[in-house]
Amino acid sequence: MAADHAVNTVLPDEPEKATLEGKNKVLGFWLFLGGETVLFGTLFATFIALRDQVNGGPSAQELFDMKIVAWATFLLLTSSLTSVFATMALHKHNLKAVQGWLVITVLLGLGFLGLEIYEFYHYVHEELGMTTSAFSSSFYTLVGFHGGHVAFGICWITGLIIQSMKKGLTVVTAPKFYVAGLYWHFIDVVWVFIFTVVYLMGMIGGKAVA
Amino acid sequence: MAQVSNDAMERKPKIKKDGVKPHIVTFIASIILTIIAFMATAYEVIPAGFTVPFIIILAIVQAAFQLLVWMHMDQKGHEFARVGIVTGSAVVLVTIIAFVTTLW
Repeated sequence: MAADHAVNTVLPDEPEKATLEGKNKVLGFWLFLGGETVLFGTLFATFIALRDQVNGGPSAQELFDMKIVAWATFLLLTSSLTSVFATMALHKHNLKAVQGWLVITVLLGLGFLGLEIYEFYHYVHEELGMTTSAFSSSFYTLVGFHGGHVAFGICWITGLIIQSMKKGLTVVTAPKFYVAGLYWHFIDVVWVFIFTVVYLMGMIGGKAVA
Repeated sequence: MAQVSNDAMERKPKIKKDGVKPHIVTFIASIILTIIAFMATAYEVIPAGFTVPFIIILAIVQAAFQLLVWMHMDQKGHEFARVGIVTGSAVVLVTIIAFVTTLW
């Protein structure tokens, strides 16, 4: 373990911020998350503006299966908690625990992704294609973009787990774990809004409220 | 690249206010907030018209919980994190208002 860097050093308390590079990585990642907020925000804005324009196709109210959505929410929320545990294990310098919690996080993420793929498949069979209506395009773009982020996160964290088997826990690898944890939480925060704006508000059904 | 400011050799990691408890509390709070939001829409316990603002406030509370506790934004050294997220959110708010009121 720790074959390449920082071999003879004891890990500091917060190894992700022990080097200037690590500090900058965390700082830069927060600025990236600010950009991601804007990115998702514009997709949300588009969806909110267009969600009632179904163009003769199925509407959100007819379509959504809240059971699947509830399970997806639970899986993603739990995976966010397990990635917190991974970061806590990181602070305790326990690589085995970091890897274990991240494996669980990835598995829960895969479960979430599976549900989403099933959901989209189901909707396409209900005649809701990408080009059916302004509602369908904005729905698939917003929710699919989030799903794409989950898929990317799964690949990223899997890569980190594999790398950590070789490199161990050092001041070089620690920021990677920390930043991946931030990413995963952010994905969960975005989902909270998707759950509320897309699914719950879809259940109420657009203009019927006003 | 990897300069570590390591003083002593015998160090035990002192984890300052990073116990399990706040994280579990956040997790349970998130679940409860989600369930309340779900109930509010499914059973129409809230006067019609107030449901949407209500569930959006719940979502913002939950997001704040996760950003502050899970992503440690409440700890010091996160000034730029706050600037990033608050600026991003401000842009989002303006975009949503613009899209909903003027475009389309």
